[in-house]
Amino acid sequence: MKFRILLLVLILFLSDNLIAQDTLKITWDYQNLSFKEFVKKAEDVYKIRIFYKEEWVNELKPSDIKDVKSVPEFFDKLFKDVSLYYFIDDAGNIIITKDFVVKASDKPSDEGDKYIPPTDYYESREKQEVTGNVFIDIGNPADKNKSGTVTISGYVTNRDTREPVAGVTVFNQRLSAGTITNEFGYYSLIMPRGSWLLQFSFIGMKEKQINLNLYGNGEMNVEMNNMLIPLKETVVSAQKNIMLQRFETGVEKINITSFKLLPTSMGESDVIKSFLLMPGIQSIGEGSVGFNVRGGSSDQNLVLLYGAPIYNSSHFFGFFSAINSDIIKDVTMYKGGIPVRYGGRISSVLDIGTTEGDRKEFTGNAGISPVTTHLLIEGPVKKDTCTFILTGRTTYSNWVFGLINNPMLKKSKASFYDVNGKITYDINKKNKIDLSAYLSHDAFRFYSDTVYSYGNTIFSLKWRHFFNSRFFSVLLLNNSNYKYEVSAQGSVNEGFTLSHRINSSGLKADFNWYQGRNEVNYGLDLTRYAVMPGSYLPKGDSSLVLAKTIDKERALEGALYFEDKFILTDYLSVNAGLRFSSFFAIGPNTVLKYDPGSSKRNSTITDTTQFNSFYKGYAGPEFRISLNLKTSPRSSFKLNYNRTRQYIHLLSNTTSISPTDTWKLCDYYLKPQVGDQYAAGFYQMLYRNSIEASAEIYFKTIKNMVDFKRGTNLIMAENIEQDLVNVKGKAYGIELMVRKTEGRVRWSVGYTYARTFIRSIGKFSDEIINRGEWFPANFDKPHDLTATFNYLFSRRFSFSANYTYSTGRPITYPIASYHLDNMVLTHYSDRNKYRIPDYMRLDISLKISGNLKSRKIAHPHWIFSVYNLLGRQNVYSVYFRNENNQIKGYKLSVFGKAIPSLSFNFDF
Amino acid sequence: MRSIKYLIISIIFLLAGSCISPFIPEINETQEMLVVEGLITDQPGINVVMLSRSVPLNKENTSNPLKGCTVTINDDAGNTFALSEISAGTYVTDSSEFKGVIGRKYQLKIKINDSSSPNKNYESELIEMKPVPPIDSLYYEKVTLKQREDLTPVMQGCQVFLSTHDQSEMCKYYRWDYKETWQFQLPYYVHNDICWISNNSSEINIKTTTSLSENRIEQFPIIFISNKTDRLNKKYSLLVHQYSMNEDEYDYWSKLQSISDETGSLYDITPSSIIGNIYCIDDPGEQVLGYFSVSAKTSKRIFIKDYFAGLPDLYLKCATDTVFNNDTIPGLNQTIWILMSFDYSMPPYKVLTTKKGCADCTARGSKIKPVFWEDD
Repeated sequence: MKFRILLLVLILFLSDNLIAQDTLKITWDYQNLSFKEFVKKAEDVYKIRIFYKEEWVNELKPSDIKDVKSVPEFFDKLFKDVSLYYFIDDAGNIIITKDFVVKASDKPSDEGDKYIPPTDYYESREKQEVTGNVFIDIGNPADKNKSGTVTISGYVTNRDTREPVAGVTVFNQRLSAGTITNEFGYYSLIMPRGSWLLQFSFIGMKEKQINLNLYGNGEMNVEMNNMLIPLKETVVSAQKNIMLQRFETGVEKINITSFKLLPTSMGESDVIKSFLLMPGIQSIGEGSVGFNVRGGSSDQNLVLLYGAPIYNSSHFFGFFSAINSDIIKDVTMYKGGIPVRYGGRISSVLDIGTTEGDRKEFTGNAGISPVTTHLLIEGPVKKDTCTFILTGRTTYSNWVFGLINNPMLKKSKASFYDVNGKITYDINKKNKIDLSAYLSHDAFRFYSDTVYSYGNTIFSLKWRHFFNSRFFSVLLLNNSNYKYEVSAQGSVNEGFTLSHRINSSGLKADFNWYQGRNEVNYGLDLTRYAVMPGSYLPKGDSSLVLAKTIDKERALEGALYFEDKFILTDYLSVNAGLRFSSFFAIGPNTVLKYDPGSSKRNSTITDTTQFNSFYKGYAGPEFRISLNLKTSPRSSFKLNYNRTRQYIHLLSNTTSISPTDTWKLCDYYLKPQVGDQYAAGFYQMLYRNSIEASAEIYFKTIKNMVDFKRGTNLIMAENIEQDLVNVKGKAYGIELMVRKTEGRVRWSVGYTYARTFIRSIGKFSDEIINRGEWFPANFDKPHDLTATFNYLFSRRFSFSANYTYSTGRPITYPIASYHLDNMVLTHYSDRNKYRIPDYMRLDISLKISGNLKSRKIAHPHWIFSVYNLLGRQNVYSVYFRNENNQIKGYKLSVFGKAIPSLSFNFDF
Repeated sequence: MRSIKYLIISIIFLLAGSCISPFIPEINETQEMLVVEGLITDQPGINVVMLSRSVPLNKENTSNPLKGCTVTINDDAGNTFALSEISAGTYVTDSSEFKGVIGRKYQLKIKINDSSSPNKNYESELIEMKPVPPIDSLYYEKVTLKQREDLTPVMQGCQVFLSTHDQSEMCKYYRWDYKETWQFQLPYYVHNDICWISNNSSEINIKTTTSLSENRIEQFPIIFISNKTDRLNKKYSLLVHQYSMNEDEYDYWSKLQSISDETGSLYDITPSSIIGNIYCIDDPGEQVLGYFSVSAKTSKRIFIKDYFAGLPDLYLKCATDTVFNNDTIPGLNQTIWILMSFDYSMPPYKVLTTKKGCADCTARGSKIKPVFWEDD
């Protein structure tokens, strides 16, 4: 390491009397020494350490200093005309700072009763009685009487792990000014000159308050400490300010700590399910893979893990999330106001922030629930610079099948597992590399001969480079693969294997530049896709199945983006961005041409063209604009417009995503989906900022979604354009949320009124649904009410509950029966004309932590939870059967009763 | 794919005690739609068009014939043929006047004279009658079925296959239906001991050769005859009709086939109504169910008389009773039949009685031997 010091450290325990300056006498001849040599000499003589950064002192000429007797005097003179300052601690160590002064003061802070001394209980319990108070000077004190605003910026790092901390709120109450640190832990804030108290807060970390004397532009780096006791923390204190500060509407952030307070389903914490408690995010029902954000279908959500898209984010056909909650640091959901650096899906982005391994020591945790068992280990490979984290999770529930007294199920098997690994290496202060991998696998065996399996693999390499403290870049290379396979032996020579695969490789170069009132983000995003739509192959030697493979699809998606967040006035800030995205379908591929005067089908084919290279392209700009108007120190108003383009579709003609749905790229006929969202939001803090309230409204239109002609079978469908119907969508809604996120009792209530409609725009009779009128989408649930409640009895006990109510989803009912060709057939109503009964669910959980003594080898936690406490038989689906010439209706409830579970975890 | 569906359901049951219970949705649609089932062919004889109305969901599903309509068929040569109603809702062509001609186009017109929807007019498109090749062969194989659940018990059934080809490449879409007839015999020496039963197909059998390199269909499974019935006990005959179709009609039947699969899983295909080729002229928005088929037709018959393992004896459980001569027999020849009388000259007389189904084969079938039946 070239640097002799840690950058600039603030937290110090000061005594009133510094080591007398006259004890540091210069007893040596310094005239011919460089600054470096001078320091070495001083360190040797007094057994102290002097901290500085080499680049600050290269220009200094100690030989010019004459007639000084002590080291402080020497520094006083030497630093006279450069903005360097020094500080001498209790032990006599000297810390040299640039642009700001560290000094001790007995003066109380200007924030009066809100003042909390910046003590560090974690590291040094003995010094808790510190009474001193740190004031930090930034800029040249000579500029004291100037007016106007200055910029203060710097990095926030975790003191224990040395990781940058993203999402820290940097805030001043009096000015109601603040910002949030970015991915690199960097912040930049404009404030008027003067004395201010700056708060640094983040969930799971101790809030830090720093008194500033702001004279000019300057840098200040901050280290924050982890909370010692997880249950006592002020969990959402960071979020309250975020709500006012973010530029975008429709952003929800969940931190792992608050997420772990939510009740579990069957003992599994599930990050995607916890988002369903937020306004505007819904699912079709229990056990459905996807989620729907503001009227978007479930393939319109970009789920990013390690920066790479996951194509199937669930285990067990949707009952559990495929993302192990152990690796999650925080999760951000963009329902709207999607930053330009994200693209490729039109409704939402779910970005999963993952943890890095512990930099100091080997630790881990393990646990067991009714469904899974999981293990995590982490630690340094090389202390402080290279770490690893490895987690695994697997079901052990196969034995359950053995207990069932049913020959059909006895030979059935179900299993899943997932593995995450990440290595982080800090090459030096300017370059950091992360290498991550993810693997998930699900397998089901039905009877003894049908096996269904699917899995994701993700590899990702991330290189963060810091050009300087205001300019950094991220280079990301990733590959994501999803595949499913169904194979069956069958009874008579029918053995087959059906499979589908999508593989994407991405390259992303992202640059961030902070300049005064501007925060600029720009970059390049490239993705290469290869999709195998389907292959149906014989299995075994005796199989008579004819092999069939649908032609592979290949494509390239590229985007350039630029965004500037700038602060116009103290009250108004703007975020304007443009993403220009393009898509190129690449051959070899055979394109069929159809008679334009009739519906596409085999009999209307007029020509066949073989393309060997690029054959169809789409491109277009995506504008993303947000305005943030601070209406008072405790409220703000935001406006947002968003355009998004999507070049990939999930082909699904079932109500929820089914295991055999396939991904399809845009091609000669299939056009990109385009979404436009207009949103406005109002945010208000109430009761001394302990309660936050928000209201958001949105209107959204979507072009080029796909629906299907009647009775289409999508499995192994060739020439899929013959089966597709182009539909457009519109959605609008209002989302209201009130929550209390501090104290022993925490609660939230959210209500959403939202509608989503679809309309077919085809020309020919088989392309028209419901006569071409608007009809409700499958996930149109107008009323949605959610409530959560947490009560923290003590550090060891906490209780939580959540409640969900929503209107039943639309459904198409049979309305008549008729006879044809000796068959009794059913006639259905217009699409989605009726609704299934309303949905309601209450879950509770109780968490008990074992002894919290820090010296104990392992810390146990017990979680007892009951899913669907009221045992309500929520209807998932309604279906009909012809029995004795009468059509009888049945309802299917996925969870027919309350499901208790108990899980056990321990940290070691 | 079905197995996947069931798999998922089973897992859910397992996991969480999910449940299925009866449910009566509130549906307030009482609309009765016109249902057309029409077929004209190039073969001599009558052609039948059946008209009925659909039955709303909450009512018992019986056929609901539509009487008193004016039904005509036009061709592209300018001829009009009127159909006459021979029984409620069944309209037939005059066999001396009408016979379909390959290559000609036909259109069905219907006028309802019903009081509920007076003078509403419906018609089909003009549909060309495409030629159809003969059936090359009909043959069967004994199939040993394992029970899928546990791969144990064996039963033997009979799978009938069909092969056909068309060198002219004129017929690319095929539809089949069939009529099966079988002979059965009661295990008693009664007067009506041998009868024949006939049954029409009630499933959709279609196939296209558009995706094949050659216009040839090999080993198309027409019907599987299970040995749970007594069809194979004595002698069985199957008459298969092969029809030509156009692509529209093929689409219609294939969609009907896909939605008549049972629903009720986590991954139901969004159901929708399948609308055929008949439209209401007076109200274009009105949905008309059913199809008017214009097809050339060829037929082939197969007889099956073979040994199959595990054939059932449906009459094994016929209860008999012995009645002595002095006792009266309540319900004689109405609910009770005499199987046998022991005609001693001396009393007591003894008769064996049983239910009609066991003593008289006409309870299930017909004593009249079909004209095509070949005795061994």
